[in-house]
Amino acid sequence: MPVDVAASRADHQLVIDLRAYDNLEEMKQQLEQSLNLIGDFGHKDEVCIDIGMMRLTEKQLRELEDIVKLYGLSLKQLMYSQKNKPSEVPHRVPLDSHQFLQGGDTVMMNRNLRSGQKFFTRGNIVVLGDVNPGAEVIAGGSILVMGALRGVAHAGALGDEEALIAAFRLNPTQLRIAEHITRAPDGETVEVGSPEMARIRAGRVVIEKMKI
Amino acid sequence: MNGKVLVITSGKGGVGKTTTTANLGTALAMLDKKVVLVDTDIGLRNLDVVMGLENRIVFDIVDVVNDGCRLKQALIKDKRFDSLCLLPAAQTKDKTAVTPHQMRNLTNELRQEFDYILVDCPAGIEQGFKNAIAGADSAIVVATPEVSSVRDADRIVGLLEAAGLRDAQLIINRIRPKMVKKGDMMDIEDIIDILAIELLGVVPEDESIVISTNRGEPVVMGNGSLAGEAYRRIARRVTGEKITMYTLEDNDNIMTRFIRMLKLAR
Repeated sequence: MPVDVAASRADHQLVIDLRAYDNLEEMKQQLEQSLNLIGDFGHKDEVCIDIGMMRLTEKQLRELEDIVKLYGLSLKQLMYSQKNKPSEVPHRVPLDSHQFLQGGDTVMMNRNLRSGQKFFTRGNIVVLGDVNPGAEVIAGGSILVMGALRGVAHAGALGDEEALIAAFRLNPTQLRIAEHITRAPDGETVEVGSPEMARIRAGRVVIEKMKI
Repeated sequence: MNGKVLVITSGKGGVGKTTTTANLGTALAMLDKKVVLVDTDIGLRNLDVVMGLENRIVFDIVDVVNDGCRLKQALIKDKRFDSLCLLPAAQTKDKTAVTPHQMRNLTNELRQEFDYILVDCPAGIEQGFKNAIAGADSAIVVATPEVSSVRDADRIVGLLEAAGLRDAQLIINRIRPKMVKKGDMMDIEDIIDILAIELLGVVPEDESIVISTNRGEPVVMGNGSLAGEAYRRIARRVTGEKITMYTLEDNDNIMTRFIRMLKLAR
């Protein structure tokens, strides 16, 4: 494995590149090695970790965080860039890629989220029910609502721009993906009877019909 | 006897919790059930006024839970039906005068004497709400066809579920069939779509409610009012009877009613 896993980016963030690994044990080992290497690099106290296509559960993320803490640093951001060199133009992985949603890091919720209720997970979430106005669902990964999404949904809340929001009836108060926020235009109510999906294309949240 | 405790709640104020409690209670009493109405809106009591029993109050719910009197002393017998009683709220105290634990004991005591214990919940989601739902077996949520009312009802259903009351039923109050037909008012389907709970009944907007409330005579007592008829049907549904649901029968003639009945029968 190359040693230049720790690379300093243009915006002077310390990014540890763990994109080459697809299981947690290897990632943890590599993280420790990298942190050892940069040990006396020491004018930074925050690091970012790039995990590429991996999606972590809350517990897994905490394990990584704990390692970072052992070195007296804190985890600032989790990044999900594609498996190519940062200098290249990132290519988009097709949606049907089996890598897109990895098992084990997805939470299923078998009820309606009602006004005033809020749900947060660092992985993906599938809601088997409705998300009503006044309710909020926030995920580090993607959000799938097998019902009507009428409340606020925030996918990629930890910075993942590849995250998407899909719903059988996508009629949200507000949609957020990573750092992008959108809402329906004022005074316009469009009733679409089919499933739709929101994702970021060219820096904007775009809603498109889902082909099933 | 092992009575059923029903809490009537809504979140939003002014949607008809107290009116519903009074009329549903009276209608159940008309079906020869033993019913007690419990007003938990301490500090803003109304149920006694709507029932026309204000001048009979000596003791109230706060006296009962603090052992200031016996339960029997505080229960006011209705002037029309022997099987109907009211436990009034205190007007000079506030919601903190009663705890959920005390409410649970109180409803358990009432269960021994009555078939139905209807708890009139105050507006809001604070202490008064927590008290009202503490001893309840199930809940009836009242909502009007307005976005704000439905939003609050949704919040309430969520809180009820969190408290273990999972089979809440819905009464849609003050619906105006003409406005719904024109598309100016949320219709029943829109509301059910959001709240996703069982519909117990629909009560049309009716001027006779105002008159009867001011007189202190529940509207179910008289014949000929649409709201009264709706409450009588709801009461029968509460007792477990299967009654077809009429929704918009304001301007229907006999023919359209007949057609709808055929549709419902299928």
